[in-house]
Amino acid sequence: MLSYYLKLAFKSMRRNPVLTGLMIVALALGIGAFMTTFTVYHLMSGNPIPHKSDVLYAIQLDNWDPNNPPTESAADVQAQLTYLDAQYLMRGDAPADQQAAMYRITVVIQPEDEAEAPFRGMVRTTYGTFFEMFDVPFLYGRPWNRDADDADRRVVVLSKALNERLFGGQDSVGRTLRMGDNLFEIVGVLDEWQPTPIFYDPHTRFSDVEDLFMPMNTAVDLTLQPVGMVNCWKPIDGDGLEGFLRSECVWLQFWAEIHDAEQAREYQDYLNSYTLEQRELGRFPRPINNFMNPVMEWMDINNVVSTDNKVLVRLSALFLLVCILNTVGILLAKFTGKSSEIALRRAMGADKKAVFVQNLFEVSTIGLVGGIVGIGMAWLGLRLVESLYRGYQHLVHLDWAMLVTAIAVAVAASILAGLYPVWRTARLAPAGYLKTQ
Amino acid sequence: MEFGPILSALTRNKAGALLIALQIAITLAIVTNAVYIIKQRADLMARPSGMDETNTFFALTVAFAENFDVKQTWQQDLEQIRALDGVVAATSIASIPLSGAGWGEDFYLDPKHPSNETVGFGNFMTDEHGIDALGIQLVAGRNFSAEEITYRGINDTVYPPVVLVSQALANSLFPDGDALGQLVYDEPNSPHPTRIVGIYEKMQHAWPTVRSPDPDHSAIMPQRSLDKQMNFLVRAEPGMRDQVMAEAEVLLAANHNRLVRIVRSMEEMKRRYYSRDIAMVKLLSGVIGLLIFITALGIVGLAWFSVNQRRKQIGTRRALGARKIDILRYFMVENWVITTIGLILGVALSLVLNYLLDTHFQTGKIEWYYIPVGMVFLWLLGQLAVLAPARRAAGIPPALATRSV
Repeated sequence: MLSYYLKLAFKSMRRNPVLTGLMIVALALGIGAFMTTFTVYHLMSGNPIPHKSDVLYAIQLDNWDPNNPPTESAADVQAQLTYLDAQYLMRGDAPADQQAAMYRITVVIQPEDEAEAPFRGMVRTTYGTFFEMFDVPFLYGRPWNRDADDADRRVVVLSKALNERLFGGQDSVGRTLRMGDNLFEIVGVLDEWQPTPIFYDPHTRFSDVEDLFMPMNTAVDLTLQPVGMVNCWKPIDGDGLEGFLRSECVWLQFWAEIHDAEQAREYQDYLNSYTLEQRELGRFPRPINNFMNPVMEWMDINNVVSTDNKVLVRLSALFLLVCILNTVGILLAKFTGKSSEIALRRAMGADKKAVFVQNLFEVSTIGLVGGIVGIGMAWLGLRLVESLYRGYQHLVHLDWAMLVTAIAVAVAASILAGLYPVWRTARLAPAGYLKTQ
Repeated sequence: MEFGPILSALTRNKAGALLIALQIAITLAIVTNAVYIIKQRADLMARPSGMDETNTFFALTVAFAENFDVKQTWQQDLEQIRALDGVVAATSIASIPLSGAGWGEDFYLDPKHPSNETVGFGNFMTDEHGIDALGIQLVAGRNFSAEEITYRGINDTVYPPVVLVSQALANSLFPDGDALGQLVYDEPNSPHPTRIVGIYEKMQHAWPTVRSPDPDHSAIMPQRSLDKQMNFLVRAEPGMRDQVMAEAEVLLAANHNRLVRIVRSMEEMKRRYYSRDIAMVKLLSGVIGLLIFITALGIVGLAWFSVNQRRKQIGTRRALGARKIDILRYFMVENWVITTIGLILGVALSLVLNYLLDTHFQTGKIEWYYIPVGMVFLWLLGQLAVLAPARRAAGIPPALATRSV
């Protein structure tokens, strides 16, 4: 039966190649445009760390200019912490399972081979807990020990890509890396790791993960300045890095792993009593408004999905709707033209249901073809997006979920488009259409 | 006119006509809103930065050796670059125009009431060649002298004794127009005032966005950063930019204790800065193009089909005395009626879509004239699309009426 319907479908499609082609093109263009923008949206709004996203919290302390407007939500508070506060929270007895403060710096890496030119590398300076907290996979070695977080130890962890560039992908643990005039011991090499978006820093979003990781103490010791957003509201008191570290400038991201609501309450209390204590010392002049937000809420607060993309998704969905309406119109015309053929089939004994199912089958076949062509168009569309935007390289691949969605949307769209015309045709009284023959 | 028969024929094929009308309605809504967004972005990108974008380029370098002599390197490098053939001016610069990031600072006006009297601005920091290297015009006062240039450490928040400000910043600081020679302050109750010694016509700060309230609030302080990140801005004689750029890169790279990170023309910089807006313009234009294509195809397809369906009736009409032009006009008018119904619906849809986009994504309120212009365009599109099928209908011979199929 199926193969007979398939044969009928192809016969019918071939009989009217222009109309059939028009339908497929319309569907494919609609699907292609929508899937292009939707894939980018899907990847931008994806959960970068699904199994832990509700136990990892971004911490915000409202330590800012008392003359600023009052705080109403987390979005009004600085996304980053001062060095002073981050240090205190790391060293204190905060009721969290794990915590990590972090910021970005850049270094100049000098390859062992003198003939090779030095190059710039992005570094995340943080604590050893970073790797366990964020479930970072290691290819070789392991994170640095706890004592490296307290003492000034010259150790680094490399990304997989940097290890490939410098050591051809070999196990480089125990070897040294030269940066500036300093030598560092390599203690670990990461495996492939590219959370999208990079949730732990609201300013990096969709870029590549850092080239290497270094204990924060070491970076401070080498007076390496943060790159990225540094915000200050109070003049810096004191000279050099010393003064900068003691200042009210914010530039560190701070994360805590907290396993349940009870602990979250404790942690919030802890933050509040800390800020109250600090107020005695003349800091935190604003009403107390400390925030802790899990990963996905944090992504929302930071508007990680670009507004342009949201607008494009809506407009391309409307475009798809136009394409579907177009297809309904053509199907309607096409099935009206088929009236006498259908009447003949009905007269020969096919019941309404059989006619209905057979025609629906034809319509879905068109949808399937449109969907497949549409995936090809979406692929082209994503190449276009990749060439138009900088730093979208992690946002332009069609994953399985998207491929299945594309086909499902196409078939559903075509069935939706075909339902009315097919229903109307199946209802025909055969006699009236046979007479004139 | 033959509205009567057209309408009665339309009511027989309600679904088909309604579908086309709906398509036209949504098309109008998308096209008006998309064109509006495109126009917005085009305006944004067309804003002049104030500087000479055509003949300038910049170089970012970063030193990595431990005992790197920043001050001496500045002197040497600038001297060498200025000696190159075709260089108009070269300066050290802290914030790169249109880079999206830079030094954002505030001036305090009244040291006694500091809280509500600050004005924010982007600080470029150049030496005495800054004005020439940027290619901006002083409209009042004087430029820095070489002796006024100082070095600024990362933590220095103390402003130097003199500053140049843009006309826009001068107006915001001193609305009475007497900014030249006035004092401004780096912090409340500051012991070291800064005097405005010069005002230049215009220069955007380094991160002008759609929502920047004051993109032209900028100032130039006579300072050089002591940081190991050293940025150069160079202006070449017309037509010499690329040559100077290549020579300067070689020159800077000769120092092996540092890395020349980026050497890039301001034109390229501007393209990169607005790349998201350029992308939005291209993607929206693409969607508009495809949409018009699909809608036109839909009109052609359905008209073609309905002509085929009515071959016999058309033949009969012709046999009864209708001229070719009557048949042609019938289909044109039919299309006009359908399009008009769609456009009336489309006006409402356009406004709703604009309202939704503006409420959720702050795209702004569409100007009224986008809608009538869009309507005229779609009327023409409909008439154009139906022309070929209508001419085919007009070509049906009257003799067809006499044949039985």
